[in-house]
Amino acid sequence: MDIHNYEKLWLVLAMVMIVGFISTTTYGATALGIEMISDDEETIDPNALDEDPRFSEPRVEQVGENEYEAYVVARQFVFEPDPITVPANSTVTFYITSADVIHGFEVVGTNANTMVIPGEVATLTVEPNEPGEYGILCNEYCGGGHHVMEGKLVVEPEAEFDRGEADE
Amino acid sequence: MSDALEAGASTFVDQFPAESKVVRAALWSSFLSLALGAVFGIIQSLHRTDVLRVFESADYYTILTAHGVLMVVSFTIFFLVGLFTWAVVRSLDRPVENIRYTWTWYGLMVTGSLMAVIAILGGFVDSTSLSADVLFTFYAPLQAHPLFYGGLAIFLIGTWLAGADWFRSWWAWKQDNPDERIPLQTFMVLVTMLMWYIASIGITIAVVGFLLPWSLGLIDQVNPLLTRTLFWFWGHPVVYFWLMPAYLLWYTVLPKIAGGRLFSDPLARVVFVLFLLLSTPVGIHHQYLDPGIADGFKFIAMTNTMFLLLPSLLTAFTVVASVEHGARQRGGTGLFGWLRALPWRDPAFTGMMLAGLMFAAGGFSGMINAGLNINYLVHNTLWVPGHFHLTVGTAVALTFMAATYWLWPQLTNRRLYSRPIGLAQVVLWFVGMALMSNAMHVAGLLGVPRRTAEPQYEGFAFEPMFGSIAELDIQLAVGGTILFVSTLLFVVNIALSSGTPRVSGLSSSLPPALSGPNDAPQVLDNIKLWFGIAFVLVILAYTLPLASIVSRGGLLGPGGDAFPMIAAPIKSTLTPILSVSVEWLGGLVA
Amino acid sequence: MAEEQPIREIGHDEFDPNGTLALILVYFAILTVMWIFMYFVEFLGNDLTVIG
Repeated sequence: MDIHNYEKLWLVLAMVMIVGFISTTTYGATALGIEMISDDEETIDPNALDEDPRFSEPRVEQVGENEYEAYVVARQFVFEPDPITVPANSTVTFYITSADVIHGFEVVGTNANTMVIPGEVATLTVEPNEPGEYGILCNEYCGGGHHVMEGKLVVEPEAEFDRGEADE
Repeated sequence: MSDALEAGASTFVDQFPAESKVVRAALWSSFLSLALGAVFGIIQSLHRTDVLRVFESADYYTILTAHGVLMVVSFTIFFLVGLFTWAVVRSLDRPVENIRYTWTWYGLMVTGSLMAVIAILGGFVDSTSLSADVLFTFYAPLQAHPLFYGGLAIFLIGTWLAGADWFRSWWAWKQDNPDERIPLQTFMVLVTMLMWYIASIGITIAVVGFLLPWSLGLIDQVNPLLTRTLFWFWGHPVVYFWLMPAYLLWYTVLPKIAGGRLFSDPLARVVFVLFLLLSTPVGIHHQYLDPGIADGFKFIAMTNTMFLLLPSLLTAFTVVASVEHGARQRGGTGLFGWLRALPWRDPAFTGMMLAGLMFAAGGFSGMINAGLNINYLVHNTLWVPGHFHLTVGTAVALTFMAATYWLWPQLTNRRLYSRPIGLAQVVLWFVGMALMSNAMHVAGLLGVPRRTAEPQYEGFAFEPMFGSIAELDIQLAVGGTILFVSTLLFVVNIALSSGTPRVSGLSSSLPPALSGPNDAPQVLDNIKLWFGIAFVLVILAYTLPLASIVSRGGLLGPGGDAFPMIAAPIKSTLTPILSVSVEWLGGLVA
Repeated sequence: MAEEQPIREIGHDEFDPNGTLALILVYFAILTVMWIFMYFVEFLGNDLTVIG
């Protein structure tokens, strides 16, 4: 088969570029430790969330020295709890499931983004450092009220968070 | 390629009047879908930007479902079947084996699409339970009326029968031409359809095995992750079902319009074979952020997807080289100066070139979409529609419109009503799309979501680095409006072309490639082999993920209810329209 | 529409697509730069990257 030399050159460059894309992504996944949403958690019955100790009471819980877990339920058309409050300089793992249809969970202006599928529990771990407030929105169509579905992620200064916990 | 067809002054319609009739019918179905889809498109672009809201926001989702299905199911696929019928008949130089069979599959496609569209439009009316506010992706547990799923199934069957029609033509031609290479256009059609048959497996199982019986009440629940994964099994290759007809036009027609010849027939075959092999085992890249699918499967989907960039990158070279050949044959010189020697006044040429240019931009956002972890940045934001309006919305749609300017006279023996309007139309499309898609990409990077009637929230604001959200909104609205005007110009121009006088001399032959089919290794034409390999690759890509989903959650899911998307009350839809109309009428009288 | 005849015929062995090569190298450069920018600035420069 007669391939012009220029096109052979382009074929090589295209392959180099493709390998470059794969390598960058792999670098992110390995050296930088970026994890993808996966299948670590068992499936769950969306009609029986109140039988699950995590989702019967959506909340943030401390599980280690600077480690927290946030149990979040998405349903038409809210996120529970609202707001989700965590301390700065911590490691937070979200466990998110749906009580009804497929939703999206997007912390606006950040890389924290996941699908929320009834029957499955999405887990993602992030490290909020600076105090501040983020909006959360649902980015997967979930019915007629999809556009009002929003929440808030509040990252409190550590002292304030500890005080708040002591009050509970 | 046939001498009798090419050498004389007779056009395609002169040689094949019966086939021309069905090709025209398919193209008209395509254009009507485009026109109606465009009406919904402009409504959306004005609504979500808060420029003009004529409907209730709950109805936005009915409109969005209609826009999606009309554009990417009806408009694109009706055009494909018309184009492919022309291409096969032309390149084999023989009529279809049985014209009544041809009309039958076309009729099935019309029936199926009418069923689906009626189910969707039923969402505006409360007096029936007909509705399908589920969007183009119809993710369970959102549930549409069974008429919607039934319509899609019948439409799909129509396309399968169409493929069989073209295979029959090829087999019959092979009996008479046992030692010849498959003519390039027919080769492209057959390989595209083989890809389609494989791709259809996923959505057929989802719709016929689960969603349709579920909507009829025959089963109680479905597994949302399973049906979603089966959807995307089909949902990625369908974009190649849209693209490959455009590639057929870029490879076989654009060189002619540019005044040249296809740079390499063998490479064109290689590209199509690569699409057959790689289009389907990548669907999980639409599910990078899905819980319940292991990251290992996502990584494999990523590498497959990155390699799927290759046939498109090769196409860029071959097509541009073919156009350059035309430019130099027309007297063009210099490293870039040859671009001036091209027929830019020809709307067919300029349309395809602008479509190709925009596709190059689409390649950029596509490579990002493929990038596994970078998907966190863009998933389900407005970036994604920004991307696909460049690809299906321009590379495909604009190429189809441009090709129509070239093809329609050969199907009718009538000149186009207005070439200047045609030229204005393609340029407007490019400008409108540049504005709209650019705004969508930028907004998406800020986190503005897709598929949302009112992306204006109470508790927070989007924070652009430069400029404001209002500027992005205006850009999107203006771009969408320009696109609507462009669509009108296209449809009206074609419609008015029925009124121009019948003339002769409108035929446009396609020259042989510079490097022809006999330079291609024989193995390329062994489509059975490529089909076999493609099938194995799909088994490898999908068996384990699907098995895992079923073993973890069960075939029918771990629980959950159906959520039928019943229409909003009629009052809430019509009230705003009525009150605006009454006000306007009142203003006239006063 | 009247068919235009080419000014000259260029055969397979006489044609080197220099312009195409130049254009495609420009495209290659744009894609490479945009990928690096998108990945390392837009993506990695963003908050709350998922690390588990």
